[in-house]
Amino acid sequence: MNIKDNLKIITEHWGKINPLKIRDYIDVGGYEAIRKFIEKMKPEEAIEEIKKSGLVGRGGAGFSTGEKWEAVKKNKGEKYFICNLDESEPGTYKDRAIVDNNPHLLLEGIIISALAIDAKKAYIYINGRYIKQREILEKAVLEAASNKFIGKGIINSHYDLEIEIFSGAGAYICGEETALINSIEGKRGEPKFRPPYPTETGLWGKPTLVNNAETVSNIPWIIINGGKKYSEIGSAVSPGTKLYVLGGAVRNSGVFEGPTGMTIGAVIDKLGGGLKKGKELWFSQIGGSSGRLVLENELDNSLTFNKKSEIPLGSGAVFVFDKHSDIYDFLLSIAGFFRRESCGKCVPCREGTFRLYEITERMKDGEISERDKEAIKDILWTLNNTTFCPFGKFAAVAFLDAVEKLKILDL
Amino acid sequence: MVYMQSTEKILLEFDPETKNLLPALKKVSAVFGYVSQGDAEKIADYFNLPLSRVYETASFYDEIKLKKEPALVIQVCSGTHCALNDSFRIISEIENALKIKAGDDFNPKVKLEIISCLGQCGEGPIVIVNGKIFTNVTASGIHEILEGWI
Ligand SMILES: Cc1cc2nc3c(=O)[nH]c(=O)nc-3n(C[C@H](O)[C@H](O)[C@H](O)COP(=O)(O)O)c2cc1C
Ligand code: SF4
Repeated sequence: MNIKDNLKIITEHWGKINPLKIRDYIDVGGYEAIRKFIEKMKPEEAIEEIKKSGLVGRGGAGFSTGEKWEAVKKNKGEKYFICNLDESEPGTYKDRAIVDNNPHLLLEGIIISALAIDAKKAYIYINGRYIKQREILEKAVLEAASNKFIGKGIINSHYDLEIEIFSGAGAYICGEETALINSIEGKRGEPKFRPPYPTETGLWGKPTLVNNAETVSNIPWIIINGGKKYSEIGSAVSPGTKLYVLGGAVRNSGVFEGPTGMTIGAVIDKLGGGLKKGKELWFSQIGGSSGRLVLENELDNSLTFNKKSEIPLGSGAVFVFDKHSDIYDFLLSIAGFFRRESCGKCVPCREGTFRLYEITERMKDGEISERDKEAIKDILWTLNNTTFCPFGKFAAVAFLDAVEKLKILDL
Repeated sequence: MVYMQSTEKILLEFDPETKNLLPALKKVSAVFGYVSQGDAEKIADYFNLPLSRVYETASFYDEIKLKKEPALVIQVCSGTHCALNDSFRIISEIENALKIKAGDDFNPKVKLEIISCLGQCGEGPIVIVNGKIFTNVTASGIHEILEGWI
């Protein structure tokens, strides 16, 4: 593993350029990747570089970006590109930070991604609550269009691209790509059965590439510097840098960029500046509300997107709990979230999240019965094994760890 | 200056394609506070869709209201950061003070909602009263905030 500690790919210009001025971005080398892509590369070559880079999706599932591009590219006819900026995982706001600090980097990535797969239309699906970020993006799209990076004949080439921003309407599940597509089509944002995958049958039934906003923001760097160089950053199984969102008892809360493959301890100490004065580590949650809980003796685990990894990196959120945190407040927070956000399509998830919430309320009030304790185990098993989409599993993750590692049922 | 907004005028901002159904519903709900049955019918006509299809979509999304909202809507964030800083105590303070229960829909004058993380974690607990955001709220401080509204 070759960690280049201080390399910044996404946050490089944060705070140094005016996000509302395309000129500022161009002056630091912005939009050069599009130029290189258009003037010096065939789409196939760009896809090859992305494959070589080893970049995997930052939306959680960790699928190879290059392979996904290739799957869509090989289909003929009308296609779509969708940038997933729904980001409704509690405690996660990295994609919002990208828009706030450097929206043109994201746009440049979107344009290259869309052109590489021959899409003529791209959507940005943005969280409905990100009102200010929508405005920033609208302005950025206009400026990019007047500089001929979007529209007909991009920088006087044969490439055309239209970009449309679509706001969500308050439903966490719409971050899941098939639910997201339903939502653009004016339907209920419920997940669809896969296969067929969106890469074959996506928006309006056409092949569609969905990529997370952070994934996309890596593209310009890879086009300029080459896939090989990217593959040497961070962990070999899922190379590159990652935006970590720190919160809780750490000294520095916020969004920080570091290589993949950092240990949990290093993320807390190096990026988070260690714990706040007077705080003592109890456990941490990795990857947002649906993330694993880890104890102090697990801080040596390194964080990657490897399918086999014990502690998945997920959204990159790392929340640190102090010894004096009220565990029931935490459990009620996540149980409430999953109860509210279950889309209701399948019974095990709709009922399971509801009952889990009720029992957690009783737990908080100190009124939990032996029957409740048995029921919790059943509910968690059902959520973990029988739901239609991964949301059910997500709802069980932290609770399972709370039972096993924090022994909440023995308290 | 007060603009008279009509549903017909709002709809004309959108091409009658299904990808504009959700944006149109959102806009009507935001302007009038909710989507009335009459408006739902107009929307169905405009997009050339069955009324049931319009309701199917509208009822799914939190941001689209199908009932007139009470005059006072209080929302409390219960994301991890807010929760660990006492949101649930703030919620019970409000429940006791106003004699309502979070999540209930019965009271025509006031509603208390528990909401998910807004991503303003550093400033929690967050309470929103009729759209106005209050940060770093405490269980004792909530009473003063409520006094301004009742
Ligand atoms: C319940 C659920 C919620 C999801 N939420 C998001 C989200 O908010 N943002 C996102 O980019 N991906 C989210 N995903 C993953 C998407 O389905 C999809 O895999 C991703 O956008 C693909 O982009 P990537 O390959 O760049 O990661 C979610 C998945 C599930 C099952
Ligand atoms: S698991 Fe939950 S979110 Fe997924 S389809 Fe079933 S009810 Fe909907």
